[in-house]
Amino acid sequence: MDNKDQTENAPPKWAETFLLWFLKDDLVEEVLGDLEEQFAAQLGHRTPWQAKVNYWYQVFNYLRPFAVRKMNWTQLNPMFMFRHNMLLAFRNFKRYKSSFLINLIGLSTGLACAFLILMWVRDEVNFDKFHSNEDRLFQVFSNQATSTGINTNGSNPDYLARTMAEELPAVKYAVAVSPPGTFEDNSTLSIPGKVTKATGQFADKDYFQVFSFPLIQGDKAEVLKTKNSIVISERLALKIFNTTEDVVGESISWGALRFSVEMQITGIYENPPANSSFQADYVAAFDGILELIHEVRESTWGNFFPNVFIVLADGVDEKDFAANTKNFIKEKDEASITSLLIQPYSKGYLYSRFENGQVVGGRIDYVYLFSIIALFILFIACINFMNLSTAKATRRLKEIGVKKAIGASRGSLIAQYLWESILISLCSLLVAVAAVRLVLPQFNLITGKDLVFGFDPQLILLFIGITFFAGILAGSYPALYLSGFKPATILKGKINSSIGEAFARKGLVVFQFMLSIILIVSVLVVQEQVSFVQDKNLGYEKENILIFPFEGDIARNPKAFLTELRKNKDVKYASYSDHLLLGHNNSTSGINWEGKEEETHIDFENISVDYDFLELLDLEMTAGRTFSAERGTDDSTLIFNEAAIAVMGLEDPIGKTVEFWGSDREIIGVVKDFHFESLYEEVKPLVFRYNPKGAMQVYVKIEKGKDAAVIASVEKLYQRFNKGYSLDYAFMDANYQAQYISEQRVSILSRYFAGFAILISCMGLFGLAAFTAERRLKEIGIRKILGSSNFGIIQLLTKDFTRMVLIAILIALPLSYFLTQQWLKGFAFHTELKPWYFIVAGIAALVIAWLTVAFQTLRVANVNPASCLRD
Amino acid sequence: MKSSRLGEFEELLLLLVGILEEDAYAFRIAEEFEKQTSRSVSIGAVHSTLNRMGEKGFLKSEMGEPSATRGGRRKRIYYITAIGKKALENSRDLRVSLWSQYPAFASNKWSLG
Repeated sequence: MDNKDQTENAPPKWAETFLLWFLKDDLVEEVLGDLEEQFAAQLGHRTPWQAKVNYWYQVFNYLRPFAVRKMNWTQLNPMFMFRHNMLLAFRNFKRYKSSFLINLIGLSTGLACAFLILMWVRDEVNFDKFHSNEDRLFQVFSNQATSTGINTNGSNPDYLARTMAEELPAVKYAVAVSPPGTFEDNSTLSIPGKVTKATGQFADKDYFQVFSFPLIQGDKAEVLKTKNSIVISERLALKIFNTTEDVVGESISWGALRFSVEMQITGIYENPPANSSFQADYVAAFDGILELIHEVRESTWGNFFPNVFIVLADGVDEKDFAANTKNFIKEKDEASITSLLIQPYSKGYLYSRFENGQVVGGRIDYVYLFSIIALFILFIACINFMNLSTAKATRRLKEIGVKKAIGASRGSLIAQYLWESILISLCSLLVAVAAVRLVLPQFNLITGKDLVFGFDPQLILLFIGITFFAGILAGSYPALYLSGFKPATILKGKINSSIGEAFARKGLVVFQFMLSIILIVSVLVVQEQVSFVQDKNLGYEKENILIFPFEGDIARNPKAFLTELRKNKDVKYASYSDHLLLGHNNSTSGINWEGKEEETHIDFENISVDYDFLELLDLEMTAGRTFSAERGTDDSTLIFNEAAIAVMGLEDPIGKTVEFWGSDREIIGVVKDFHFESLYEEVKPLVFRYNPKGAMQVYVKIEKGKDAAVIASVEKLYQRFNKGYSLDYAFMDANYQAQYISEQRVSILSRYFAGFAILISCMGLFGLAAFTAERRLKEIGIRKILGSSNFGIIQLLTKDFTRMVLIAILIALPLSYFLTQQWLKGFAFHTELKPWYFIVAGIAALVIAWLTVAFQTLRVANVNPASCLRD
Repeated sequence: MKSSRLGEFEELLLLLVGILEEDAYAFRIAEEFEKQTSRSVSIGAVHSTLNRMGEKGFLKSEMGEPSATRGGRRKRIYYITAIGKKALENSRDLRVSLWSQYPAFASNKWSLG
């Protein structure tokens, strides 16, 4: 008790220590006395705590010049030197405006590019990472070991999620979710008097437990429990009801294709953030879609549809779990060829490409690509600074000599030059930030992102970090180089420019141009590949084909609608299929044929079509015939593609019978292979069957040039059949190109960044050329007097640079060949590297270098010897 | 160079030093200042000003006796010097002169000695 009293009634110890640290020695006694007296007085009418706070306040108020002890001279020196260095730096900038400007523009362009890329990369990397279960949230993939290799697929058996949740204690939640593109954005939600198109997904009851999309209304454990319940997004609620109040409990009619279901709204969720791959307008109970699926097929372990997401229970090891559940499906169904693979959910966005059952990449490739480009550009900009400052060393020799002679240490000179470069990079930071703000909307347009440049401490710190990094990188070489001079020799006027130094500078220019050339080649190859993909003969015609989904009454009576359509003379063909042709949509392994071995498993892409469909796409038949209405027997026939026939090992397939889902069907035709998936993939086995129930997407082939007229009449017809719906059509070739949207974006972006890299390199070269020309002015004057021609002078001045660029070309071409070759390998079908890419890149680099130097060279070559030799 | 003019705060402190006589040390002056003006002030601020006026020659100081409430430490007692006194008088005279020239008050029969 006593002890406590004592500590309570004594002034705070730390305050006293602090005071003693800074207070002048001769003031200690009186000040401590005063403060203690005051503290005692305070205790009389205030709480000890208040008195202590007051004591601290008093101590801080002694931080005044008169009371603070003199700090050591050596401690204050840096401040003084700092001011001195700043002053010198500013004077230098003022004196050599052109090199200052070149450095400033170069560095700020470099920084701006780096910042943009950084923002993009950060956005990519943080995608889908906001879920509170993030570290235990996984997606399940099916690896199907077919005879043509392992196919990895996000689609799983319908009941996989439920069975896992029931049987495995390690699984806290598991949900099946219909894949995002199931209805191709074409489901409708309607209340009396209002039909709204919306994209949505169907999911098991724990969806909102698994994913952190906060509910504005409704309980996340309850909302999807009952069949035909639907949870809608805030924006959809506003769109349909103009309010989010009292919406829960309303019934709403869901429709897609020929289906229509009455649903009950059970909740509203906040609009998903921009960095979420889930962007749907509604989530409905999975049982709803199961019912629709069961009209077509059963739920077995061999039919695949939903994506499956699981949350592991606390303490469950991911690897153990993956190993234990690998054969989960095989344990249920002995005939199955499917093993399971789990991947962290947030990884799915960046790693989406699988080969042989292993993840091999995806968008992460672009993240790496652009990070490397950012580094390249930043490096090129730094090289400019290094070159210009070392080249101009002669101008500062006296300064360095005098400083050294009066005792400046090498360290302080290094500090001076580093400060200069950091200062210039800080100036560039301001310019770069302004530039980023300016071009961000454009950048967002190209990248399809929604980046904002707001107050984000982490981002600001990163920017400043990068700036300092660039400043130190750029300043390091000049600082070490300039500070290394020997004072005696340089004051005598001798520049001991060693071979090593000239070599280093030339090496840097070579390196710079090497990077630029690699970028030029890469851009050319990326462009070629993108246009290759777009123009490649895919084996089918994708031009002039209109696609739209069956909906409402049309879906209930597709034949009548098609018959009407076909009456239009500008419609070449009208047909349907059960999905969009592009990509992997629906596959089956339920085909058996004579001679099929027990362990053979082949996954066939399974497409239901109407008559005329193959003609519509202009698919070439290598054997047999297509489906034909005249025969009327095509319910029991099939058409395969060549790839399928090849893996089945059938010779002379026409007329043979195979077993399809338990019933015998006759092969009536073989279609030549065509690319229905992205060109990353080889052509997979495929089967067409005639199926009147497969009317999901209408395909209309239009006579060339009649698009507008046909669309207008289709629209009219559509309205006649489908009151209240609006025709939502797309062109097949546009859809096709959308597949390669990220390639296109990369292509455009890389073009810009390569342009900037070259621009920055050229600025550096320009600065160097200007400097050389200036330094050799007298020499040139003398040469001219002695009879040298202008051309001779130009040759003289250009020779050096030409040699450097040539060396750069020599190094860069093999490197870029290797790099682009690697990139192209990622595509199953790709353009070949042609010599002209490299020739063009080399010549471009040379010409650009010449043009850059030409301005300076011509100016000097035309100089009047009299004027330059006078002084 | 150091000015011989007094600022408002300086003037008040100087007067307080005169009033407190033997008791004129930093803490007491600060306390008295707060009491008389109802303005709060830190000891540091007072000390700093006293120190400055010492340098200007308005004040001189010497160490006094130790006391128990101060943990046995001595205090620095300040005295007004002749120059300090002169500066105070100058300051007062200037004010009086200005007051008497202010017409609104000139008619008010103010008599200031």
